[in-house]
Formats: sequence, structure tokens, C-alpha cells
Amino acid sequence: MEEQKPPAARKSRLIVRLGSFLVSHSAFVSVICCVAGCITLLLLPVLAKNTYVSENALMPGSANPMFSNQDVVEANRFVKDIYETGILKDGSGMEIARLIGKHMEDVGAEVYYHKFKYRNLQFHPLCFFSSIPRTAVPQNSSACTLNGVSPVGIIRAPRGDGKESIVLVTPYNSENIKLNEALSLGLAYSVFSLLSRVVWLAKDIVWLAADSRYGEYTSVASWLKDYHNPTFSSDSGKIGIEMCFEKTENHVEEQSSFDGAAYDDFKRAGTMSAALVVKVMDKERSERDRVDIYAEASNGQMPNLDLINIVHYLAVHRQGLHVRVGTFGFLLNSALLKHVGKTLQRLTRLAESLNLGWKLGVNSADFVEGTATLASSMYYQALGVPTGPHGAFRDFQIDAITMELSPRTSLTNDNGISSFLLRSGRLIEGVIRSVNNLLEKFHQSFFLYFLTAPNKFVSVGVYMIAFALLVAPLPIVAAALFSSTANARSLTTISNNKPTNSKPVTRSGSWNWLHSAKLVFLVHLWALIVSLLPYFVSQIPHTNSTTSMLSWSLSSLLILYLLTRLTKSYVEGYQWEVLKSVMIAAASIGLSLMSIINFSTAQVGSILLVPMCLMVRPLKQPIQVPIFPAALLKILNILLAVVAFPPASLAILKGCLRGFESINIGDFWEWSEFLWVWNSATYLFVALVHLPCWYLCVHILLHN
Amino acid sequence: MAGTRWYWPLVWAALAFRLLLVPFADNLNLGSRPEVATPLTSLRRLAEGYWLKQSSLSPYTGSMYHGSPLLLIILGPLTVKRIESQPAHLCCSLIFVLVDFFTAMLIRAIGEKLMLTNCNNLKLLKPSKLVESFGGVDAADIASLIYLWNPFTVVTCLGSCTSPIDNLMVVLAIYGACSRIVPLAAFGWVMATHFSLYPGILVIPVLLLLGYGPDAPPPKLFPQKHSNGDGSLVHVFSWGPILQFALWVVIWSCYVLLLSSISLKGFDGLYDMLKKTLGFILTVEDLSPNIGVLWYFFAEVFEFFRGFFLIVFHVNILFMVCPLAIRLMHRPCFLAFVYITISATLKSYPSVGDAALYLSLLGLFANELAEMKFSFFLFCGYIGVSLLSPVMHNLWIWRGTGNANFYFATGLAYACLQTVLVVESVSTMLNHDRKLKKELKKT
Repeated sequence: MEEQKPPAARKSRLIVRLGSFLVSHSAFVSVICCVAGCITLLLLPVLAKNTYVSENALMPGSANPMFSNQDVVEANRFVKDIYETGILKDGSGMEIARLIGKHMEDVGAEVYYHKFKYRNLQFHPLCFFSSIPRTAVPQNSSACTLNGVSPVGIIRAPRGDGKESIVLVTPYNSENIKLNEALSLGLAYSVFSLLSRVVWLAKDIVWLAADSRYGEYTSVASWLKDYHNPTFSSDSGKIGIEMCFEKTENHVEEQSSFDGAAYDDFKRAGTMSAALVVKVMDKERSERDRVDIYAEASNGQMPNLDLINIVHYLAVHRQGLHVRVGTFGFLLNSALLKHVGKTLQRLTRLAESLNLGWKLGVNSADFVEGTATLASSMYYQALGVPTGPHGAFRDFQIDAITMELSPRTSLTNDNGISSFLLRSGRLIEGVIRSVNNLLEKFHQSFFLYFLTAPNKFVSVGVYMIAFALLVAPLPIVAAALFSSTANARSLTTISNNKPTNSKPVTRSGSWNWLHSAKLVFLVHLWALIVSLLPYFVSQIPHTNSTTSMLSWSLSSLLILYLLTRLTKSYVEGYQWEVLKSVMIAAASIGLSLMSIINFSTAQVGSILLVPMCLMVRPLKQPIQVPIFPAALLKILNILLAVVAFPPASLAILKGCLRGFESINIGDFWEWSEFLWVWNSATYLFVALVHLPCWYLCVHILLHN
Repeated sequence: MAGTRWYWPLVWAALAFRLLLVPFADNLNLGSRPEVATPLTSLRRLAEGYWLKQSSLSPYTGSMYHGSPLLLIILGPLTVKRIESQPAHLCCSLIFVLVDFFTAMLIRAIGEKLMLTNCNNLKLLKPSKLVESFGGVDAADIASLIYLWNPFTVVTCLGSCTSPIDNLMVVLAIYGACSRIVPLAAFGWVMATHFSLYPGILVIPVLLLLGYGPDAPPPKLFPQKHSNGDGSLVHVFSWGPILQFALWVVIWSCYVLLLSSISLKGFDGLYDMLKKTLGFILTVEDLSPNIGVLWYFFAEVFEFFRGFFLIVFHVNILFMVCPLAIRLMHRPCFLAFVYITISATLKSYPSVGDAALYLSLLGLFANELAEMKFSFFLFCGYIGVSLLSPVMHNLWIWRGTGNANFYFATGLAYACLQTVLVVESVSTMLNHDRKLKKELKKT
């Protein structure tokens, strides 16, 4: 082999030479790539494109709205009814439900009441990524008080075949109804009654007035689960709806007129094309009525961009509403960001003056706003927790958004509210009419995107670049470390060929990495156990977050100690270079997997993880560089090792945002509990990729 | 050698680990994973076939069951047996745990045979340097431990599919041939072929094993050192066992066909069975996604090209049989490993059970393949692909944000990995032989 190498290297193909060039200059390449990745990430708001309605069939705003002042009057009357019922008979949640049901029936809809049992979201292992919750519901539902009841009305489309539907959701608190909730019910009712009269309807309309006594998400999710699971009349361990009414009502004469059985069977209306969650909110006043769009569902999934596009188009260009998406307010005032924006503006001016053909047009204010919106979009996607009841729909592949409408006047101002209801009603009608035109499901536009403004987005093709640049050094550095140790070993074996000690150096040659792989495997095993521990810790009664956190960390440390003691003889004889390259390989596999499951988590995680993985080296190992860079490297290493420890990074983040006195030991427990109960893959990432990687980095740092 | 001391505890631990996971098998939902259960091996389909047969219909009615009628007799009654509040296929899972144990033991026995012959051969070649060169690891223990602890095997064992039985038959054939128990070899080969057709090409390594004996360095090396009768005795092709093997193959095949026809009496009979089992494998009727590459291709291809491409794809496997047999004639066990890997790459309904088998056979050659290149790359690749494949499937089927190409990409990557594995292992083996020759020349 050795004699053949030089001519082979000279003759080798371009791609091989390119690869070996990259590997031999790995330090330089990785610095370049990381810096480029960070810059690209920062430039994403500049690279955002304007949105456009991609699906031709939608034709938003091509028809005149039919929603008229008559409907507004009807809505106002309904609101008054509901609100008075809610005020008069406090605690009578069923009364409002019945009122809504009655009104639904009056406009000619099929009505039924969906009962659901409130189950607290709780820790459960093996529940990640299972789209169908398999847990059997214990059917001892004698207590109606635990049940929420949501009235559901279905309008059958005159031109449809009952196989497709559009869902309208209005959450309301049945126990303590507020004026804004009554308004959203009234708005939905007026749209619903209008839709019962129109001739163009091709998809059934389902209006779910979700009882949000136990949270908006719970009621919508349980309705969707029942909608998609077959129910059989035989499994009637459940109670009829009339029993709930009986218990809560005393009016015998009313009850006799109320035929419960008819309202009890679950009616369906085919596959759902889209769902709109409509809420009226009372926010701070602005000069125009306002729509806030929330779109993030679980694990960073987004609805099809076309749905947001039509809402935005109709709201801005037809109804003159002000559309907003989630933004981080504190970033808007950040001096650093403003400075960066100004610098960018100056740079682009300079570039434009050099070449008049370039029209970059970067505006500092736009940049700051785009960054704040992008950060919020990325944060909520990375968290993996839905931002509203629309999240429940995405688990069944239904595109859904939450629209929070807020009027410019106060909620009690009749004139202001009437014009607000007119605009909002027309908006909802327009959106429904557009979706009604849809021939297939939403597929034309993007599913993977970030919003930088209501009408600007960054698609997957663009934001992937930043991540790819950040992650690209990992395999290169792993290969470089691996090949360097292989070369060194072959040199040493050639130089001292005499059998020095009889101790069997078990695997020679290219299998040398097995020793390091054993350690990496053990650490990942430990991380797996640690990630499952909260389930057992949460079983301990009478604990608060601090004690839970303490018991979690203590038990993890104990397990770590036991594992290292048990396998002490098993894991030895590795070089730190090989260990580092195996660790980097594991980290890059984890990161690329996570980028497919939830891109934002991987992106945020890689910013911490990649520099830590790339820079780590034993503190006691001397480096052949001048004293200053060596010291800098050491300091950076220690700093990263501290910052990248998950609880520490959470504490630092919280300290920066809310002041350092608010930090608590239990914070990390609360955070991970929050992620776990929402089945967020971010928890898995932190526990199974980030934590073992951090531990191995510390292990390498302390290696001697 | 840590392997020998820890061997039995590790074996028992592996079995205990399986038994521990068996009650949770339903929760893990492995039986419906396309990576684990294929239309040929799925136990759910077998239960369906058994149910059809119980209601006096042919088990091949519809397109549910495509396995052997013998499996239906053995495993069928177990699929309906339910123990209170236990997962559905508990009895079958327990049987598969046993089957895995037997397979591991057989692999170990094969490894010991190989090591013994290797030792003898080295003694013949260079008695002086025996101690130094025979300093490797205990390949037999390693191979069987790889089989028992490979996550693929564990998943296959728990995933309620019949691949463990297929694997056992293949290993049985190789073991029988290695230790020259001709009836056993013939039985293993006939059953393996009957169950999944592709092990049919293993007839060449089995014949070579019976004729020449287990793996040895190239025969050219021997006359150089030992021109006397002692050395050349090793490499004379013996026709006796071959004829015996042929006889036994005929006997066993007739027996299997007879049993099948008895079990299918009253239904369409043997021709229908062959059409629904072997025909199903060869014509790739079920295009539901799996980790192979054929489903995607045949979902896309025009109907009138289908026959042509079916021939092309299947000849692809046969194409490599002869050249490899000529080149690796002196190492029949390794040849068997290469054949199994190739057929696992190109077969119509592959699953991770096939990978479990060939990866543990790879362990048998741990000493010879010590210098293998890209081992780390392959290791990372296997881990990456096996994690990526479920995620892509989830993205496609459950989330709806991906499409078939996403999932097929992982299948393609997996096929590439297997190809790299075959190429690298064969070239390393040939290099090993070359090195041996060079060393002999030096002395």
C-alpha cells in the first residue's frame, strides 16, 4: 500500500482531491463555515421574499362579500343574548351551550353536543411522535362537572357531497363568559347563519363552539380525536347529553321539550380542508382594527403558507385591517440590532453606488422588525408547543390558524363594534369562500417557512443554507481528526514494530474507534435514562419544582457514577482525538435528524453545539500556537462548557430577559415538564443530543 | 479477550432484555413499521391467513398472506392464543426469542469451525509464526454477540414478523455445510428457499463448503510450502457429499411440497401456493413502501415495461453470483455472507432482519477484516439511516409535509451503504489474502 500511495494521490479524481484539501485545512474551513453560517442567519430577514397566493383556485377577494349590516345586527342581538344568559345564571355552562345549539338549529344546521372529559396533560413515556394517542379513556364519566360540552353545528353544502368541510372554531369559557368571547361567538354565528343561506357552498361548514373551561386546546383536541376515531354505539359506557342537562337544570317543562338522544350522536362532515379559530380580543388601541395571526403548531409545524396568504390579502387589501404576526418586542428596541441594521443599510447603499444595476434596498427599520418577527417565529417553532387551539388540527394534517381580531375602539362602543364586526365578518366569509374554491387539499405553497412579516417569508431553501453552513464543518473536522490519528498510528506502528508488551491491543487497524464508540454509547445510554427519569420523579407525591429538580439531578449523577464504576475496565485505551471525532459524528447525526423533525430547534441548538464540539480539546494538552490564541481558546472552551450546560443556558437566558434575581433552581424542571407534556421533540433533542454531547465535551476538556 | 469472560452473561442479558421488552411490544407498534415487517414476513398477515384457513377458505384468498403453509401450521394456532391482558402475539414473540438464541449459538458454532480450520491452515503454512499471527479476537463469540445485541435483531424479534425463522434456516444451512452434516445442510437450504426464495443462491457456497471444507487461504499458497501429500489433501473437491446433498435436497423438497399440499388440501393446491408465494416475490406485486429500492421503481414504471424490468432487477442478483463464486471459491463462508448482503440489498421485500443476519456474519471475519476501510463511516451511516428512515416515514405519512421521495431517499442511502459494505469487505478480504502471500514469500 505504502509504495502505491504517491502516484495514486497524484492521479486521484478531482472530488477526492477536493475532499482531502478540505480535510487538511479543516480548522480554516470550519472557521469560515461557522462565520458564514452566522452571517447568513443574521441576513435571513434581508433574504425574505414577499408572499404570494400560489394556488390559483383560491381566488381570494374575487367575489363581493355578502356579509351585510343585517348580519351585524343579528350578531349584536346574539351577543346580547349570550352575555345576558352568562351574567344572569352564573355557573350554568350548559345554558349557553343550549342557547348556541338552539340558534344553530334555527338557521338550519345539524346540531349535536360534544362532551369531553378533561384530562390533565401528564408525563407519559413512549408518547413522543405517536400521532394517534393510544391511551384508553377510563369510562367512569358519571361526573358531569368534569365534562366540558361544546355545541357543534354543521351546515350541509347545497353543492357538495358531504366529503369535505371547513371548520370554524370559537372558544368560549362556559363558566365565566367575557364580552370578547360573546363577541366572537356572535361573529361566528352571524357568519354561520349567512353561510346557511348562500348557494355557492361546496364544502360543509362545521362550527365548533369550543368550551374552553379547561383550556382551549383540550376541547378542540378531544373533539378532533373523536372526529377521527370511529365510535360505535355499543361502547356506551358514556352518558347521554341529556343527563348532563338534567343534572344542571331544574326546569322540568323545558327538559321535556329537550330530546337529548338526537343531540348525542357524533355527526361528521368529511375531511377538513382548513380550520379557522376566531377569537375577539381586547388589546391596546391602534388606529385600525387589527388581526393577529398565530400559526405555529406542535413541533414547529406550520400550516400551508397559502392559508396565511389569503387571510393577509383579504384583511389588508379588502377590509383594511392591520395584520400582525408574533414579534419579540424587546428586540425592536435593541440598540445592537439597530446598529447592525444601519450598518447593513450603509453597506447596501455603498454597493448600489458602485453598481447602479443592483437594487438591494435594505432598510434599517425593516431589518430590525424582520429580525424581531423572525426570532419570534423561530422561537415558537423551536419550542415545539402550539401557540393556540389551531395546533390540534395540524396533528391531523389539517391546515389551521388562529385569528385574534381586536377592534380599534373599546368593546362597549356600539358603533365601533358594528363596523368591526362588519369587517371581520367579511374577512371570515372571504376566507371561507376562498377555501371553498379549493379543489384538493392545500399543497401548492410552502409548509416549511419562517415569517419575517405578515407578508414576507423565508422558505426552506433559504434558511437551510445557514444551518448547512453551520453543520458542514462537523463531518469535515471528524474526518480530519480521524485521518490524522490513523496516520499517526500507522507511523508509530511502523517505527516500533517490536512487540513491546503482551497486552492484547485488541482491534488494530481501522477498528480503533470502537473504544471511543463504547464511551460515546455509554454516555448516550446515560442520557436516555436521564431523559426518562422525570416520569419517575413526577410520581413522588408532595414535591415542588425545586425538590423535583434536585432529585432529578441527584439521581442522574448517581446513575452516572454507577455507570462509570461498572464499566471502568471496559472503557479505556482511547485517544481524545478519536473520541472527539466519534462525538462530533454523533452530534452531527443528531443535529441533522433534528433539522428534519423540527428545524428551528436544530438551528438554535447548533449555534451552541457546533462551536463547542469544534473547539474542544484537553486543557492540559499543550498547543503549538502563540500564547495568546492558546489562552483565548482555553477561555472560550471553558466559557462554552459552562454556557452550553442546558440548565445553565436556560438560567442565563432567563436572567438576561427577566433579571437575574428571578432565577430559581426549579426553572429547568418546569421548563422540561412543559416541553414533555406538550410532546415536544425539543425535550428529546436537549436530553438525547445536547446533554451527552456536552458531557463528552467536558470529559475531553478534563482529559489528561 | 474480554469476550470469553463476559460471553455467557452477555448472552443471558440479551435474552432477558428481549423478554423484558416483549410485554411492551404492542406499545412500540413495531409490527406495523415498514422497516420491520414486510408483506412476506408480517405476523399480522399470517394471523389473517390462519383465520381464513379456519373459516375453510384458502389462506391465499385476497392478497393478505404470502408465506409458507408450514408456518401457518406452526405459528397459526399461537397467533389466536391470547393470555389475559397481554399483547396479542406473546407466544410467537417467546418463540422468536428462542429462535434468536438458537441462531446465535449456530453462528458461534460456525465461527468455532472457521477458527479451527484457520488455525490448522496457519499451522500448515507457517508453523514458526503461529503464535504471533494468531493473536486476533474470538470471532465466533463476537459474531454471536453481534447477532444477539444488534438493535436490528432485537427490533425484528419484537416486531412480530417471521424473519428470525428465515434467518435460522439460512444459518442452519451454513452450519450443516460447515460441519458436514449433509441432511441438516440440505434441510436448512430447502426450508430457507421455501420461505423466502433468495437464499436459493446459497447453494453455491453450501456446495463449496461440502466439497472443499471451510474457509482457507487461497489454494495456490499451499503447494508452495507443502508439495507433499499432506498439504494438497486439503484442497481436493470431494464429490461424495455433493451427491448426498443432491439426494437430500430432493428428499426434503418432496417432503416439504407434500406437507404443503396436505395442509392446503381442498383448496387450490400447490400451483396456487407457488404462484402466491414465489410469484409474489418475483413479480413485486405489493408496492407499499419498504426500505428497498424496488417498490418506488415499480410504482413509477410503465406497465408494458414492467416485465422487462422485473427480469433486469432479478438478473442483477444472479449476475454477480458466478464472478464472486470464482473469485472467492476458497472462502465459501465469506461468499455466503456476500451473497446474503447482495440479496438483502436487491430483494423485493427487504427488512432490517436481513441486515441483522449479514452484519453478524460479518463478525465472523473480524480478524480478516481488521484493516477494513470506511468502517467508521459505515457505522455512522447505518445508525443515521436507521434513525432517519422512521422520521422520514413520519414526515410523509403522518405530517404530510414530506412526500415519497423523502422516504425513498433513505432507502437509496441504505442501498448505497450496503453496496459500500460489500465492496469494501470483499476488497479487504482479497487484500488479506495478498498480504498472506507476501508474508509467505518473505520467509
